[in-house]
Amino acid sequence: MAALSGGGPWRRGWLPALQVVRHASKAVTRHWKAMHFQRQKLMAVTEYLAPKPPIPEQCLPPKKEVVEEEDGYVRLLRRQVAEAFRDNRMIVVCQYNPMPNEDMLLMRHYLRKHNIEVKFFLNEIVRPVLSQSKYKNLLPLFVGRNIVLVSPETKAKEMLRVLRGVPQINLLGACIDDTILSKKGVENFAKLPSLEASQGQTVGALALLPSQTCSLLQRGPVRLAALLDEYIRQLQAGASPSQSSEAH
Amino acid sequence: MAAPASEFRPGGSGDVAAAGAVAGGPGRSGAAGPGSPVVLRAGLKKYVLPPDYSGVTLPERTKLKFMDKVPAVPKVRREPRRLRDIRGPSGEATEFTQGQYGILALGGGYLHWGHFEMMRLTIGRCMDPKTMFAVWRVPAPYKPITRKSLGHRMGGGKGPIDHYVTAVKSGRLVVEVGGRCEFGEVKHFLARVAGKLPFPAAAVSRDTLQRMREEEEEKQLNNQNPWTFERIATANMLGMRKYLSPYDLRFKGRYWGKFFLQHRV
Repeated sequence: MAALSGGGPWRRGWLPALQVVRHASKAVTRHWKAMHFQRQKLMAVTEYLAPKPPIPEQCLPPKKEVVEEEDGYVRLLRRQVAEAFRDNRMIVVCQYNPMPNEDMLLMRHYLRKHNIEVKFFLNEIVRPVLSQSKYKNLLPLFVGRNIVLVSPETKAKEMLRVLRGVPQINLLGACIDDTILSKKGVENFAKLPSLEASQGQTVGALALLPSQTCSLLQRGPVRLAALLDEYIRQLQAGASPSQSSEAH
Repeated sequence: MAAPASEFRPGGSGDVAAAGAVAGGPGRSGAAGPGSPVVLRAGLKKYVLPPDYSGVTLPERTKLKFMDKVPAVPKVRREPRRLRDIRGPSGEATEFTQGQYGILALGGGYLHWGHFEMMRLTIGRCMDPKTMFAVWRVPAPYKPITRKSLGHRMGGGKGPIDHYVTAVKSGRLVVEVGGRCEFGEVKHFLARVAGKLPFPAAAVSRDTLQRMREEEEEKQLNNQNPWTFERIATANMLGMRKYLSPYDLRFKGRYWGKFFLQHRV
C-alpha cells in the first residue's frame, strides 16, 4: 500500500501524491545508488549531443594555426640577412652536411684567409627576406640544410679549392655580381683569367690595330726604299764586275 | 631530404620561463672567430619574457596552517547525520581569492583530520616556502560523527562522538596555492594530493577553471538534443517527477547523491 503524503495540490512546491519507493537507502549514499529505470531512461534520453559539422573535419584540409608574432630577434636576423646580401658581391649557397668540428673550423679558417665568411641563416628567415628582394630566383636553393658563403671579393678559384677538400659541403648555386650561376657556371667563372689579365688582354687586343697603324703607313715608303736599295745594289753589282773586268 | 626549418624547431615555450639567452643561439651566424666551434642547428628559439610577479605578495606564514582534530570547544550534543551538506553544488568557496592555483572538489565528501594532515604535509614538503604560499579554503573539522562500539547489536541509543569531519560539496575549492610560481610547477603535487582525497578532485588554476565554466556554457548552448533534463523535469513531462526528487529541479540531472556527473549538460 503506497503511503500518501500530506498536503494538497494548492500547496506551493507540491510533492507527488504517491511516493514510489518505501524502504530504500537515503538520498545521499557512499555507493552509487541504483536509479529507478524510468530515471535511467530519462538520463539516457537527455544525454548531450555534440554538434556535427556537415563535412567531417577529417575530410577537410587541416587548418594551420597562423601565429603572427613580430619578434625583435626575428627582425634582427632579417636585417642581418639583408645586409649580407647587400654588402657582398659574391654569395654562394652550399649544402651543409654534418661534419667534424675540427674540419669545419679549418675550412672556415682557410676561407677567412681569402676574406670569405661562412654564414648560417635559418630558412624560415631567409625565405621571406629573399621573396621580397630582387633575389627571388634564389629561393629554391634555401630548402634543407644549407650555409651561405659571402665575400666582398670574387675569389671563386680559391673558394673552390677549399671546398674541394671538404666533401661534406656541396656547392648548390651562387650569385656573383648580381648574376646567378650554377655549379658549372662557378667553375667556368673560376677558370676565367683574373681581372688584370683580362684587362691587359683587352688592352692588348685594342692596341693591336693602332700599333699596326705605324707600320701600315710606313709600308709604302719602306717598300720603295727597299726597292731602291736593291736597285742600287744591282747597279753596284753591275758596276763592280765591269770595273773588275776593266781592271783586268 | 629537403625538410623545412620549422620541423627542427624545439618544443614551444614552456611554462617555465627561459631566463636569458642561450649562448650561441641557433640561427646566428658564426661570427665568433677562432673560438670554440659552434655547431649550429636549424630552428629558431623563441625567447619568452619571464612572468611578471610584481603584484604578488607572500603572507607571513606561507605553509598550511595546522588543523585541529577536535574544535576548541568540543560539541556536547550529538548531531543528526544531515547528509544534505554533501549533496548538490557548493555555495561557498567556489572562486579564487588569494592564490592562483588550487584543488577543486568534483564530488561531495567528508574530510577528516587524516586528510588534512596528508594535505598539509604533502604540500608543505613539495612547495617552496620562500616563493609560494598555500591557504586552506575549508574550515577545520566541526561536524561530529558518532560511532557505535564494534560488535554490539542495534539499539541502545546513538553512539558517542568518535571524530569530527568537514563537509565538502562539489565545486568547492579545498586548498589554494599562489606566489611566484607557474601552474606547471604546482600541478604535479596538487594532482597527487587531489587523488588522495575521498572525493574526485582536480588541480586547477584560474584560467583552467574559467575555461571549464566556459566549456560548460558552450555545451549548454550547442547541445543538439532538444530534450534536456531541466525541460522535462520542470514541465513534468510524462509524469517524470514521480521518479525525481524536488532537488532534481535544482540539480538538473548533474548531481546524484554525492556524485557530480561532469559529462552531463
